[in-house]
Amino acid sequence: MTNLFTRRQAIQRLGGGIGAIGLASLLAESVGAAPAGPHFAPRGKRVIHLFMNGGPFGPDLFDPKPSLTRYAGQRPREVELRTERPTAGLMAVPFRYGRHGQSGLEVSELMPRLAGCIDDICVLRSVHTDNPNHGPALFMMNNGSQTPTRPSLGAWLSYGLGSENAELPGFVVLCPGRPVRFAELWSSGFLPSEHQGTYINHTDLDPQRMIPFLRNGSLSMQAQRRQLDLLRRLNDEHRVERGADPALEARIQTMETAYRMQVAASDAFDIRHEPTRIREEYGPGHFANACLLARRLAERGVRFTQIYYGDGQPWDTHNNHNGAVRQLARNIDQPIAALLTDLKRRGLLEDTLVVWGGEFGRTPTSENGDGRDHNHWGFTMWLAGGGVRGGMAHGATDEFGFRAVDARVHVHDLHATILHLLGFDHTRLTYRHAGRDFRLTDVHGDVVTPVIQ
Amino acid sequence: MRRCAILIALIASAGSVRAQAPADVEFFEGKVRPILVERCQECHAATSKKRNGKLHLDSRAAILKGGESGPALVPGEPKKSLLVTAIHYGNVDLQMPPRGKLPAREIAILEEWIRRGAVYPGPAKVVAKEAGIDWAKGRTFWSFQPVKEIAPPMVRDKAWSRRGIDPFALAALESHGLTPSRPAERRVLIRRATFDLIGLPPTPEEIDAFLSDKRADAYERLIERLLASPQYGERWGRFWLDLARYCDVAEQWAEGSGQPWLYRDWVVQAFNDDVPYDRFVQMQLAADQMPGAEPRDRAALGFLGLSPQYWKELQLDKDVIKGVVADEWEERIHTLGTTFLGLTVACARCHDHKFDPISAEDYYALAGVFASIRHADVSVLGDTDAKAVQQAMDKIQKLRTEFKKSDKARGIEIMKQIDAIKLATPRFDSSLARGVVDSSLYVLPDGPSRTKLEYKPGVSQDVKMHIRGNPANLGPVVPRRFLKVLSPESPTLFKSGSGRLDLARAITREGAPLASRVIVNRVWRQHFGVGLVDTPSDFGVQGSRPTHPELLDDLTARFLKNGWSLKWLHREIMLSATYRQASTHDERKAAVDPDNRWLWRMSRRRLEVEAWRDAMLAVTGTLDTQVGGKSIDLSDVRNNRRTLYGTVKRRELNDILRLFDFPDPTTHSASRLPTTTPLQQLFTLNSPLMRQHSSALVARLKKDAATDDARIRRAYALLYGRSATDNQMRVGRKFLGETPSDETWLQYAQVLLASNEFLFVD
Repeated sequence: MTNLFTRRQAIQRLGGGIGAIGLASLLAESVGAAPAGPHFAPRGKRVIHLFMNGGPFGPDLFDPKPSLTRYAGQRPREVELRTERPTAGLMAVPFRYGRHGQSGLEVSELMPRLAGCIDDICVLRSVHTDNPNHGPALFMMNNGSQTPTRPSLGAWLSYGLGSENAELPGFVVLCPGRPVRFAELWSSGFLPSEHQGTYINHTDLDPQRMIPFLRNGSLSMQAQRRQLDLLRRLNDEHRVERGADPALEARIQTMETAYRMQVAASDAFDIRHEPTRIREEYGPGHFANACLLARRLAERGVRFTQIYYGDGQPWDTHNNHNGAVRQLARNIDQPIAALLTDLKRRGLLEDTLVVWGGEFGRTPTSENGDGRDHNHWGFTMWLAGGGVRGGMAHGATDEFGFRAVDARVHVHDLHATILHLLGFDHTRLTYRHAGRDFRLTDVHGDVVTPVIQ
Repeated sequence: MRRCAILIALIASAGSVRAQAPADVEFFEGKVRPILVERCQECHAATSKKRNGKLHLDSRAAILKGGESGPALVPGEPKKSLLVTAIHYGNVDLQMPPRGKLPAREIAILEEWIRRGAVYPGPAKVVAKEAGIDWAKGRTFWSFQPVKEIAPPMVRDKAWSRRGIDPFALAALESHGLTPSRPAERRVLIRRATFDLIGLPPTPEEIDAFLSDKRADAYERLIERLLASPQYGERWGRFWLDLARYCDVAEQWAEGSGQPWLYRDWVVQAFNDDVPYDRFVQMQLAADQMPGAEPRDRAALGFLGLSPQYWKELQLDKDVIKGVVADEWEERIHTLGTTFLGLTVACARCHDHKFDPISAEDYYALAGVFASIRHADVSVLGDTDAKAVQQAMDKIQKLRTEFKKSDKARGIEIMKQIDAIKLATPRFDSSLARGVVDSSLYVLPDGPSRTKLEYKPGVSQDVKMHIRGNPANLGPVVPRRFLKVLSPESPTLFKSGSGRLDLARAITREGAPLASRVIVNRVWRQHFGVGLVDTPSDFGVQGSRPTHPELLDDLTARFLKNGWSLKWLHREIMLSATYRQASTHDERKAAVDPDNRWLWRMSRRRLEVEAWRDAMLAVTGTLDTQVGGKSIDLSDVRNNRRTLYGTVKRRELNDILRLFDFPDPTTHSASRLPTTTPLQQLFTLNSPLMRQHSSALVARLKKDAATDDARIRRAYALLYGRSATDNQMRVGRKFLGETPSDETWLQYAQVLLASNEFLFVD
């Protein structure tokens, strides 16, 4: 009936091996969007983003600042920086640091297991962003602007790389609840809607509960395939009569994805299929389950898996900071160490980029006595795998860990670097919208070359 | 977001004291004056009535003159200055400000200022807040200008226009080298118009009647029929409820036990009655105080009465609770400002609005209104009905008392009697709606650490400014009044009660240009899929400018001339040539205008979840058309009512609503953003509800037609309003096979319901 139809069938026969072409690129012909495709050989093929929503404090974990303890209670001129709320004097970090791995990089005692992976990790100690409010900072980290209207990083990658596995969504968002901003964080913005993130609450481990209406209680897959074939035929005919319409195309596309998801997702999202040994390696808890899920999805070619640590913003420690951080760190140390180890063991770490961090950091000064306020001036993130140089720290904050002072990395630079690792020149991954070419990094961004292998 | 931009500005100005070495005046204005204003002048100003030791810190002369303790400072000599002694808290008898020591940074700034000679440029601006806004300039912004009718522009194609909006739209097209699309076929037009006005598909019979109506005004008649349908209000009422963040189930701690749905039903009825929009607005703020309002109109107060209520943990300090109360004011002001005026007034909670001419005083002038009202149940019954309900309640109360002392047999008898009384009393269960009454809230300490809430019924209050939005840092009292920028002279003060009625009237009087533009644009957006201004709830500086400013002005002016009539507005839009265009794609025009902002065709639209589900009920013949009443859960398989009546819980949306872009009812929703996701399609493929609808469709087809072929034809007529093509007949027959089972039919029906043609409107 239509060329598109036969092309799709051809693609399906290719199975999982269509990464380089990208289903999106084939579909793009019908919706008028030029396929991107990598500009040069990618180092990474997929990303797992461990999002510590609320904002962790670097010096607790990866950026030792002994001066905080030495000058605790004082308020030197360096800390006269406006954040969201008023803060008082410097607050000591009570956690000890040790040197680990061949690199001898310093890691705090809160990350005993992850310390064992430090030679695979590149710590960025000098990240900064533009706004100390959660909303704008969440948007900045996800879409490179302070508003909810732009496509997110995951959507750009899905658009640029196409799907590696058309039977799963290319961009999956896991959260045992809801971050404080919601679907805007994984929006496809003005990119075709198939690139938006698929939100999954993984509180219940049964895939059929995670993903509503995942299976049909009455129909066999064969009967349903027959239905789908008819539906696609009618929809294609309807679309051809009307000419290009991305909305019609997107629905046809997502209908097929949904069909395939039933089988693929039932398996991919079921970490109960994992051997006990592996489950134990990751440990208990929502975050551990999400890490294991992310590994399963990475294995199956999901391009971008984003894990929000928890419901709301658990890392937003305005009160009882040290107590809260002990617990939070305990909950992430083992799962992340297990994830990196597991990926490495399976040969996946070399082309899977793992990104860790929040939307911003926290102040070295105290708030409410024992809390820490938001800090966008300087904070810590880290990268691992996907062509990143391990066992190094890049950049530095000032003596107190407040402001990034050396080799500063703006979020735009981070985005440029991530795109670079995935094979894109960030200035050329563009999409024409409202009269001009948009890109993730807008008019900013420099690739942080020292962190690349 | 706005508030954040303000923070950026503050950050930019917050560098170290010495490093920047600005001119003394700049230093004073940038650093010193804000401290004096926010920390000192609440008491130490000539205008303050507070105890202040006769010290005024609002001019250099006043400072040098000093107060009861002598001159406040010695220029150039911080160590000899009383002010410095006071702010260092060194002397227990002289500690300022009394609420707590200033941050070290501010102390350093004041010392530095004195060291530099205490420059204080006069004359003093007592309220620095006002300094930021250039009111004269602010008033010139496009959306605040009076609307006026505009002579239609010259166009090349003289024959195309049908209504007032057309020459404007056509001129814009022509100036971009575009031409309109051909008119849509009648079959397309009736489907579009029917979904647009009543949110349901036309029946095959209605389509046939329209196609065969050869009268010149057949289309006008169609529009009139639809506007007169009670289902019109159900469709358009829902549009309003998105703005009003309506819910059927509010917070569990919410005050009030009245029926939320009385508000929903009032909105539906108001649309059906074509209540003039200005009156429609006023009633939602003050129906209980308006002359000529009926008792049933008090249900309109649900706009306020269903506002989110935030948890107030009374174990916490009063300042924390005051913060919660202030958050509620912000929510109310945000919803009020965006819904009625398209202004983000709530951005002025902590500072003057960064972009729009809205001051923090404006904000607190409105906050006073909300500080003077309380959530409460309001009776919607007239005297006779109310008396009957009261008598019934009294009787029931007596019976209940007796019940407690009765044996089993008598108990059963009593229960029966109670049921009978309820049944015999019309509106027994629907006498109370969620609303508000005038009553001021005071947040007071309750012992050393706890808090209590005290309401004073009938009392109104003006509130103090919260400096930087901090309820513990209070500025001057701001009398309740309307927004200054929208008031031609000085804003009129709100005098009666809480000021709700004054506010309501000001919105549609002083605020008329804005209020009317905003609603005209919203209605336009519902018809075309995109607004003339594509930020429907932000007509401020940060909002979009209209694509067709003259069209918007002219249409709005005529809307006002026609008595704020929404039905007039629908007619004006839907009878236009612009609206009647086909939605066909055109490669060349799309290259010029991919987003169709110049309206070279009708935009194809996807049905909202309500219309999609309602359409399924309609075509399967199972739609329950009862208008109004209690909500019913959407997951209930027996729920065949319109989706409007599906229960909306504020904190947790039903799956179908959540999956299909229903807005979060915790906050005003400016517009819905349609998304397309595999999870939606899983619903379409797998949900029990889809199976149920499919099954109902099969039952109807079997009833309506005798052969498989006839049933396929009937399905196409019901669902898509057209005949099936030969190819579609063939494909259908092939799918069904020789002797299709019920199950095969059901699967076929599901495909038809799942199709794009059923979901999209051309």
